[in-house]
Amino acid sequence: MSAWLKKTGVAPWMVVLAAALLLAPLVADRGTLNDLWSVAFAVVLASAWNLLGGFAGQISLGYSAFVGIGAYTTVLLANAGWNPWLTLPVGAVLAVLFSVVVGLPTFRLRGPYFSIATIGVSEAVRVIASGMEFTGGSSGLRMPSANFHFLSNYYGMAGLALLTVGLVAWVRVSAFGMALEAIRQDIDAAEALGIHSTRYKLLAHALSAALVGAGGGLFAMNFQYISPGSVFDFPLSLRIVLMPIVGGIGTLVGPVLGAVLFGYLQIKLLASPTLRDWNLFIYGGLLMAVMLFEPRGIVGIWERLRRLWRRRAPPTLEASGGA
Amino acid sequence: MAPEPILEVRGVGKRFGGLVALDGVSFRVEQGSIFSVIGPNGAGKTTLFSCLVGSQKPTSGSIRFKGKEIAGLRNDQVVARGVVRTHQVVRPFRDMTVVENVSVGALFGTHQRRGAEARARVAAVLERAGLASRAQALARTLTIGELKRLEIARALATEPEVLCLDEVMGGLNPSEIEGAMQLIREIRSSGITVLMIEHHVHAVLGVSDRVMVLNFGKAIAEGEPLQALRDPAVVAAYLGNDVEGAPG
Repeated sequence: MSAWLKKTGVAPWMVVLAAALLLAPLVADRGTLNDLWSVAFAVVLASAWNLLGGFAGQISLGYSAFVGIGAYTTVLLANAGWNPWLTLPVGAVLAVLFSVVVGLPTFRLRGPYFSIATIGVSEAVRVIASGMEFTGGSSGLRMPSANFHFLSNYYGMAGLALLTVGLVAWVRVSAFGMALEAIRQDIDAAEALGIHSTRYKLLAHALSAALVGAGGGLFAMNFQYISPGSVFDFPLSLRIVLMPIVGGIGTLVGPVLGAVLFGYLQIKLLASPTLRDWNLFIYGGLLMAVMLFEPRGIVGIWERLRRLWRRRAPPTLEASGGA
Repeated sequence: MAPEPILEVRGVGKRFGGLVALDGVSFRVEQGSIFSVIGPNGAGKTTLFSCLVGSQKPTSGSIRFKGKEIAGLRNDQVVARGVVRTHQVVRPFRDMTVVENVSVGALFGTHQRRGAEARARVAAVLERAGLASRAQALARTLTIGELKRLEIARALATEPEVLCLDEVMGGLNPSEIEGAMQLIREIRSSGITVLMIEHHVHAVLGVSDRVMVLNFGKAIAEGEPLQALRDPAVVAAYLGNDVEGAPG
């Protein structure tokens, strides 16, 4: 187990968090479980985004599109009589297809041009969803209210969060992860060594789209009601980007840390009438602070502190070693 | 009839808008030889290499590798077939260690090695390039000499049949140049055909079987090293034609 932890870079506290997530329903009340559900959802979004944005360095600001595609697929099919659980893989597959359609043209762009293009695409999707008849226009859609079971939805989201982090851990140490890392550091050098950069970017995009799409479906099941403003919203895309950046972009633990912080912050901000309208301001401020002072986020701060600690530690370590 | 060359370039041209970087360049490279491309700055040498490996598309002409057309393929496709290049301005993955840098070549080169096979390949290449002792160092901490060797090591890890070296001796001191020449000879003896762009005349004469001279995108001479360097057109390209046209 500890060898596995070392190889994949899963921190022990993440195992504790996973266990807490799975065991919480035995002790926690519904309110706490709701908060944990939000944290798990945030972990899915942040960690999945990190596959493309962190590992491959392709900063997409359009991930709300995948949340929305998953959510709308679930609601539309459930209203057509499907079992909601069976709609999740369909939403994931549609999100993958959309990720390829978006990726093929936009992955030709580099750096900020790619990011800007993804904003355009996701805004277009939102406008289309608001304008179409079958999506219920801007007033949105309601799930068929029958047989919703919160606890199974909770386990669904918790399971998806664990699956996401597990997949990210695996990608990180695989040849696939090596290709993404090479692309992030120097795409021309990566291609010069035989890496088909477009293929690997599409793969990372597709994998994260599938996870986010499934998460969107679970979101729709839990909230019972969706609208373009709730799932195709640009601030949602922004939050998805913010969590891994604040936590530590391109690391395994960073997006999880960011998600825990933001999942919690989001709940508190929206619950507080005075802070409610300030939430985007606070997000923006956090983003600027991270960019200015520690581009590697909380993980970077932690590593700095550890180095500082090590620099001071040697005398005491020697003393204890000699004793 | 001579044996079929491993690389046959015919009439390759490359324009950037109105600028003609390469103008109908043709040459053949025999299997197992060392073929040098020299020429003044801006002659189109690096553009030629870019066209060979597909990081740029030639606007005209044909490039045949072992009899098959490779002009117009993507860079990664050309690498998969067995032609790889290094960069004049080194392009290491700076936040990776030396061993990780070289692993990328082994994982995604011609054979896409995995696991123990990849590790063995990487270890062998590091040994050959003299980087074994620096394996765990971050690429950003290497000296320029080490970075040049890392550039070669990564390319070798892809297991190429043709290795294109773009000025690997630039910025090296005389003893490092001797080492690099030795390394290039060893690479050739292991069966790899070497193309190299080089400014260092001593090195070109020391290792090359044939030399081609480019000037303003045209091949102005090709042949045995000394013969090519003594060609009047080459002397003129480097030193100027004569003084008749000069002002005053």
